[in-house]
Amino acid sequence: MTTRIRSAAALVLLLLGASMAFPATPARAADGDGEVTLEGIVNNTIIGHATDGFYLNLKPFGQPELPRIMLARNESGSLTLDIYGSTKSLLKDGPYGLVPHGGEDGSHGDLITAGAQLEEAFATKEHLHSSVARTSGHVVVDLSITRHLIFALRAMVIVGGVFIYLAQRYKNGTGRMEAPHGVLQNMMEVMVVFIRDEIAKPNIQGDKWRTFLPYLLTAFFFILVANILGLVPFAGAATSNIAVTGVMAVMTFVIGLLYGSADHYKELFTGPPDAPGFVRVILVPIEIIGLVMRHLALAIRLFANMLGGSLIIFSLLGLIFIMNVVFGEAVAWGTTIISIGFTVFILLVKLLVAFIQAYVFTALSALFIGMSVEEHHHDGHDSASASTSGDIESRLDAVEDAVEPTPA
Amino acid sequence: MEAAALAYLAAGLGAGIAAIGAGIGIGWLASSSMEGAARQPEAAGDIRGLMIVSAALIEGVALFALIICLLLVVLV
Repeated sequence: MTTRIRSAAALVLLLLGASMAFPATPARAADGDGEVTLEGIVNNTIIGHATDGFYLNLKPFGQPELPRIMLARNESGSLTLDIYGSTKSLLKDGPYGLVPHGGEDGSHGDLITAGAQLEEAFATKEHLHSSVARTSGHVVVDLSITRHLIFALRAMVIVGGVFIYLAQRYKNGTGRMEAPHGVLQNMMEVMVVFIRDEIAKPNIQGDKWRTFLPYLLTAFFFILVANILGLVPFAGAATSNIAVTGVMAVMTFVIGLLYGSADHYKELFTGPPDAPGFVRVILVPIEIIGLVMRHLALAIRLFANMLGGSLIIFSLLGLIFIMNVVFGEAVAWGTTIISIGFTVFILLVKLLVAFIQAYVFTALSALFIGMSVEEHHHDGHDSASASTSGDIESRLDAVEDAVEPTPA
Repeated sequence: MEAAALAYLAAGLGAGIAAIGAGIGIGWLASSSMEGAARQPEAAGDIRGLMIVSAALIEGVALFALIICLLLVVLV
């Protein structure tokens, strides 16, 4: 009986959470037509929640805005750094205005800088969803602290804290002199050994994996923690931002370029050995494009997986509200039960995906780095390899002679 | 039909076709690797690792298509 009450309570909590995650009237409703539109739900609520933003969404407890930092060029042509505590104060006190909606062809009207229109935008939180522009001069770089940056920093602090603590323990002898102690140390040691033995060693030739293991471990644990933070209430996955995954893919790319072997570069720019000239002309551009596309796909894969997961959850929950708009309340209640069930299922899948994507990013990084640092020994003219293989050959001949003396 | 409607239609069709392609690819991969693991159970661990990496590569192509579909919906 108590379990049934408890599960009913959990269902009610889930429903409450769902209803709080979606404000009853999206901001688009304030535009004048006065009704909840499908477009409003899709654009402002679903896309708005899944993407980056300039505020933290702690809905029942408020919506703290994050600092805005703008590197701008003012009217006299010199660079200025405008720092404001929030988007609100940026619009109120700074030389910035809100770009009004509706200009589909790009030609928007005057900026909203003050007055009743701005107050209305504050009231409907419209200022958090639309872009801002400088009234004089223009913005060079928007260095504002965004939601995803906060989540990424949180993941970094967690990873850094856990591993600095564990490194201290290993330094003091726990885990080296004796068996690892405690849940945290055992769990992390399993993962670290897994990365070393299953990802780094098989993919990177020879003893070179030692150079790249720290990067692979950092990437794996950062992605894992960032992905799992995406499942925590009031937080999001920093890896569902193309900039975060893009920077990590660029790191893999740069490591591959910096540590690339001469063989790799030779093959990249002159084509495969002993290929005819016209084949090389075709193959060299393909190789170079393939190298770039591999790393682009690395970024897109992680980003799209994480974004896709949150979009599916928002879409399933948003289906309830869409049904409410289209068919009425009774259908919406029916949809709620199905939607919540699917959402729980997708959340479990997301937990699996969090691990798989961290593994896949690390494994593919190791594979790409391994491909670029690999050295070929099959040429036979290489002095070192030729002499050792020659040695073995002659020794084998000697052994053969000793075992079976040829009758000559 | 107006341009926005065509874009939504294209995005929906594109997402569906990308899903079909990825489904065929990953299904084929899973069937082959299961066959391999059944014939040689001691290699199941290696096969699983290779399968995940290959599935990720196939999925990457499908996700390219999905991102393009998403851009069609969001940017129009």
